[in-house]
Amino acid sequence: MEKTLKKENFNSLITGLKDKGYKTIAPKKDNNLVMLDEVQSADEIHLDHVQTNNSVKEFFLPKTEKILSYKIEKNKVSMEEPEGFAVKTVIFGSRPCDAASLPVMDKVFNWDCSDKFWVERREAITVVTIACDKCDSYCFCTSVNLAPDSKEGSDVLLTKISDDEYLVETVTEKGEGLIKELETVFSDPAGGTPERQIASVEKKFEIDKVKPWLDENFVNKVWAEFSTKCIGCGACTFVCPTCHCFDIVDECTMSKGDRVKNWDGCQFKMFTLHTSGHNPRSTQDQRWRQRIMHKFKYYVEKFDNILCVGCGRCSRVCPADMNISEMLEIIATEDNQKE
Amino acid sequence: MIEALRKKAEELLRSKTVDVVYGYGEGSVPERTRPVFITKPEDVNKLTWNKYCVYNLTTYLKKQEARKLGKPAIVVKGCDAKTITVLIKESQIKREDIYIIGVTCTGIGEPPATKCKACDVNTPLIYDELIGEKIENKEFSFDERYAELDEYEKLSEKEKWDFWQKQFAKCIKCYACSSICPLCFCDRCIVDKNQPQWIDPSAHPRGNLSWNVTRAYHLAGRCINCEECQRVCPADIPLNLLNKKLAKETEKNFKYRSGYNVDDELAMATYKEDDSEDIFK
Amino acid sequence: MENIYKPYLMNISDTIDEAPGVRTFRLNFLNEEEGKNFQFQAGQFALYSVFGYGESTFCIASSPTRKDYIECTFRQAGRVTNALRELNVGDTIGFRGPYGNVFPIEEWEGKNLVFIAGGIALPPLRCVIWNCLDLRDKYKNVTIVYGAKTVADLVYKNELKEWNARDDVNLVTTVDPGGETPDWTGKVGFVPTVVEETAPDSKDTIAIVCGPPIMIKFTLPVLEKLGFKQEKVYTTLENRMKCGLGKCGRCNIGCTYVCKEGPVFTAEEIGKMPDEF
Repeated sequence: MEKTLKKENFNSLITGLKDKGYKTIAPKKDNNLVMLDEVQSADEIHLDHVQTNNSVKEFFLPKTEKILSYKIEKNKVSMEEPEGFAVKTVIFGSRPCDAASLPVMDKVFNWDCSDKFWVERREAITVVTIACDKCDSYCFCTSVNLAPDSKEGSDVLLTKISDDEYLVETVTEKGEGLIKELETVFSDPAGGTPERQIASVEKKFEIDKVKPWLDENFVNKVWAEFSTKCIGCGACTFVCPTCHCFDIVDECTMSKGDRVKNWDGCQFKMFTLHTSGHNPRSTQDQRWRQRIMHKFKYYVEKFDNILCVGCGRCSRVCPADMNISEMLEIIATEDNQKE
Repeated sequence: MIEALRKKAEELLRSKTVDVVYGYGEGSVPERTRPVFITKPEDVNKLTWNKYCVYNLTTYLKKQEARKLGKPAIVVKGCDAKTITVLIKESQIKREDIYIIGVTCTGIGEPPATKCKACDVNTPLIYDELIGEKIENKEFSFDERYAELDEYEKLSEKEKWDFWQKQFAKCIKCYACSSICPLCFCDRCIVDKNQPQWIDPSAHPRGNLSWNVTRAYHLAGRCINCEECQRVCPADIPLNLLNKKLAKETEKNFKYRSGYNVDDELAMATYKEDDSEDIFK
Repeated sequence: MENIYKPYLMNISDTIDEAPGVRTFRLNFLNEEEGKNFQFQAGQFALYSVFGYGESTFCIASSPTRKDYIECTFRQAGRVTNALRELNVGDTIGFRGPYGNVFPIEEWEGKNLVFIAGGIALPPLRCVIWNCLDLRDKYKNVTIVYGAKTVADLVYKNELKEWNARDDVNLVTTVDPGGETPDWTGKVGFVPTVVEETAPDSKDTIAIVCGPPIMIKFTLPVLEKLGFKQEKVYTTLENRMKCGLGKCGRCNIGCTYVCKEGPVFTAEEIGKMPDEF
């Protein structure tokens, strides 16, 4: 289904969503950042950015979430399951790369057994993406088989066709349902072929050359050379829309508590530290290698998908200017030779 | 200046005075530089110097991966050099184990970093070799030094609380603030200790408050105001406000400014009978 | 939808102190129905939780042939195992599992078995040892080589006596030099050396090795020398785990997720893994 949406109708869209019982998440300016966050009115929406600082990940896999509550009375324990975590929501105005991360992550959260916290949120949330009309030098979606107007993972895709109008394409049934629910907000296309304003994202490397190199180069001096500057924080993994590693911890008082799932990251030395003190990944180059290997080899072998959507957030945010696409360029242009 | 820097680095490497030079190199974009580790004299052209050299490279003194490269020469601005003074005072490094390439600096960042506004260390206070024309270091009054706190201090207690609640809510617990901090050198941070669990690991209001306050308090009287924590925070939390406030209280109560003089006794590690006790009120 | 992170509630029905800092719990399902439906196989592991402290990963130490209960043996080391140690009979713990792959004991039928364990690594083997002993007719010679630092550190002392008394089990116990007591009748020496001395016949024999990395490192070449093929040597690995379900992303060695594809591997499989142990 194709429709158009005028900017002047953003307000009726947001009001309409509210009336239909949706929570609305959209890009919002917050000092120096543009954050996907809950909005009440269209005035709060900020669209003049390349990329939001946070990704859509936190709405599906929150930075911290209860997975179990319990009460302890003497030596008896009673458990309670968290409820109401999946709220009917529309994410409006996230980028195609963010949306593309969702079907990729569906695989890990559903293989073998399903993580209901992910699955139920996925069902409750509708993703309305806006194709990128601009990009920056950190963007590399086109190098990982995506594009600034990719439809993967979106329920609805909006593409700018003039300063005040967007072309609306439904991608899934869920998206079509949403558009029908709010029919009056949208118009029918004027006819003819509208000029889509889509960013031109430079292709930086041949992704097909990455995995063959990784297959042969678990041991290579490039890992250490590239990562000496890495400070071992979790910024890259936390802003990444596809990094999904987590920790499980208990937090409680004497009589009641919660078991919570928290974001965790492979760049922390604690991530793999055994209680004995032994650490299979004790140095930063091993941890950096793990990040690249997980994204471009392990995940591919397991789930037939690259665990990267080229959003560039990790490189933008890195305290030491580690640039992932630069690493991949090095890999893709190295002779496929083991040292 | 860049030429002088490269020449010095080359000379130090050739003479084997040092094994590696921690310096600034070109970054991903023109508005960015990145830390580089030069081990070969022929690579010194990778070194650069410009207003985007924001990093406090002394943080790599705590990283085993950088230390593995051998004895370092470190390129430092005046602010960064103060770290070295603290690290020496806190027995983390020996003066003779590092070679300090001081660079004179008139401010970094675009727009210029807050710390540069009342900079009194345009010329580093400690160095082995100075690159750049020596600049007469300015002096600022107490009030001028802490001017960035003026607005904040006008807030009521409730407003301050609300302000920090809102700021800390953004924290994602990535620990970039402590990872980048050259003075956060504990091998196992308190946040990683779980017997007992001092700080809730979750990025919820309680966990975020206890983390951010603990981080700042552990730097009270130690922080040299390089502002690296604030620069790297992906959630844009004005961490330096906390650090600066604590620095101000330290100076007010103990007449101590961290990193200025290697002969000064550390404020938090030295007991004096006439120490102010107002701090406990 | 089922919550995959929700544990079973288990009652601690018995505790046995095995060695300094090492304790065994016997666990029963609080919900009998859950207990009836519960099945596992030798080699699998679980996440045991103390509410308020968190979860810890270790193997199921009892045999699946003993259906009324589950046993686990843990050493006090971290936050959760310290909290476990504080619990007593009648207390409730959480149990998530069974997870991971299994020892292929059916493939081993008709063969000789050599179990080699060091220190606290006997519990993962105890499960499969009892499993095979309870099906004793299906296997030929059974040899167990078990060593610990000191006599006190040997776990399952009563069962060692029991195995020693059986004439269908060849038990060889050893302690590290200096770890012996005046009345110690076992061997003195490190496990790899004792394995070499014991020299089990490698023909038609499966070796199952479990112990600290250093023991495994020196035992594997000994087995090779004795003629064991790598695919006939099994071990069980542990890595830090949080979910046990192949999602949390930390227990991998290269492409291999220890929680799903392991914890049981042959020496041949381990040999193909990248050096990231």
